[in-house]
Amino acid sequence: MADWSYIPQVLVSGLGIGCVYGLIGIGFCVIYNASGIVNFAQGAFVMLGGMITHVLFARNGVPLPLAALVAVAAVAALGVAIERVVVRPLWNRKATMFVMILATLAAQIVVERLTLIAVGDQPKTLPVFTDRPPLMIGPVAIGYQLIWIVGGSLAIVAALAAFFGLTRTGKAMRACSINREAAALQGIPVSRMLALAFALSAALGAIAGILITPTQYTAFNVGVPFAISGFIAAIVGGFGRPFGAFLGGLLLGLLQALAIVGFGAGLKNVAALSVLLLFLFIRPSGILGAAK
Amino acid sequence: MTILPSTTSPDRRPFGLVGLLPWLFAAVVVGYAMVVGGYAATVVSFALIYAVFVTGLNLFMGFAAQVSFGQNAFAAIGGYLSAVLTASHGWPPLPAMLLGIAAAVLVAAIVGFPTLRLKGHYLAMGTLAIGLITYEITVEWQSVTQGYMGISGIPPIGIGPYEVTSDRGQLILLSLVVAACAFAAARIRRSRFGRALSAVAGSEEAATALGIEVARYKLLAFLLSAGFAALAGSLFVHVVGFVSPEVFGLHMVIVTFTMLYVGGIGTVAGPLVGALIVSLLPETFRAFKDYQDLAYGAVLIVLLIYAPRGLASLFSPRGRS
Repeated sequence: MADWSYIPQVLVSGLGIGCVYGLIGIGFCVIYNASGIVNFAQGAFVMLGGMITHVLFARNGVPLPLAALVAVAAVAALGVAIERVVVRPLWNRKATMFVMILATLAAQIVVERLTLIAVGDQPKTLPVFTDRPPLMIGPVAIGYQLIWIVGGSLAIVAALAAFFGLTRTGKAMRACSINREAAALQGIPVSRMLALAFALSAALGAIAGILITPTQYTAFNVGVPFAISGFIAAIVGGFGRPFGAFLGGLLLGLLQALAIVGFGAGLKNVAALSVLLLFLFIRPSGILGAAK
Repeated sequence: MTILPSTTSPDRRPFGLVGLLPWLFAAVVVGYAMVVGGYAATVVSFALIYAVFVTGLNLFMGFAAQVSFGQNAFAAIGGYLSAVLTASHGWPPLPAMLLGIAAAVLVAAIVGFPTLRLKGHYLAMGTLAIGLITYEITVEWQSVTQGYMGISGIPPIGIGPYEVTSDRGQLILLSLVVAACAFAAARIRRSRFGRALSAVAGSEEAATALGIEVARYKLLAFLLSAGFAALAGSLFVHVVGFVSPEVFGLHMVIVTFTMLYVGGIGTVAGPLVGALIVSLLPETFRAFKDYQDLAYGAVLIVLLIYAPRGLASLFSPRGRS
């Protein structure tokens, strides 16, 4: 049964997956802040990030960094496409929140099924970025992919902080999240910000997918579980707070890793979903309090 | 606010000719399946089972304008309890079905109480989580559910030695059940309870001001909806004789929402019409099995954008958004 000497090792890998959940959670927040929409197609971006990179790298021999870049760009373009084709018409009609959720969930299914038809149902993976034996710190092994994940995530979080804090566009997006009408009156192109938010969010999802794929695998149907974990991260962090979402992701990753030790890998999703329900019932504003 | 049902009193006139069209359509389809039998009967049987589920979904989402992405959980509870009790413990089907429905309603009461306090995307995600947790449990609790392998050898519905095994027999039985469900939905809509739900749908604040206990009515609608879902789940396992987790997975959520929107959310005939159309369409190009969910998703998006009140609204003079 559970061997508690594994705990430090388990926590370290929980930290890695937690970073990925955090990135996905930030993706939710970016769109939510720009529009008040919760995009349930977020998982499709994660899945496609890993999948497109795999197809380019393993089937067409494109070097890995280039394949990853192309994948991120392609998924960002898909994000804009979903915004234009699915979200925009509903947005213009002032459709209810529920209709928007259902439409994005349907978009998720469409992308999933197209992927299934294009590449089949076999799980795919990517090679680790740096193929060397893991670093040993005491009894704890730290793989190079984990360093990539944590380092990459932190770099992205820092870049986002700079983007939102320093650039004109980032500030404009924040203005939209505070008050869309006031932002529009200041001459900020709110609708273009919405498209940009989808592109940014999709790119974040794709990066998360590319980072995590070498340690697990990717298949057409991995999107929804990742999206749910990202959403839980966003809720735990206080919905609408990007950096709270990252923190929430770390917390969720650690909790889930412990749950795997305690109850077995099969119940890890049940554990994560139970965390979601607990937070929803007891503290829906998250540990940091909701953004509004 | 286009998905809200009409908040005026429901029409009390007897059905006009136009209002009869959806029922006529359903009768023709079921009648055709009855005559042809075989594969057509199987497809229409599944459609009728879905119609029971969607009728329940419509009570909660159409009449009361609430959101639940997790009603498949209650279908799973009803279906699996029926399957385990009959196939593994030798119960007769009817008591197993009743217990399955009772258990689903009980679970709905326990989870509904905290969940229905949530609003907006929190409610959506909370209910989705309930459906997914149930799915994971049916996969992982192998000693009872046998995981992905599923449970087979579930007996057909019947009392004592009289079992409904023929295609036509099942079709007749399911038609009766669906008719009873539609009748119940129509009665509920015109009752005090139904009017209260429609007030809740219009505005919770206004409903409260009228003295309606909003939380209680929402919970009641949720329980009713869960009961319909469990009935559908039970019917499915007894008609097919087999159950696996996939039956009640995310696929079911998407398919049933498509049915609800195709038929027309908030109407009485909508769930039946939607279930029949959505079940029959893929059969016309059955060769492309992989494309089915793709088609459901795409159709759902197109409907949400261009015809948010569904096809049945075309038949109904009150169906304008």
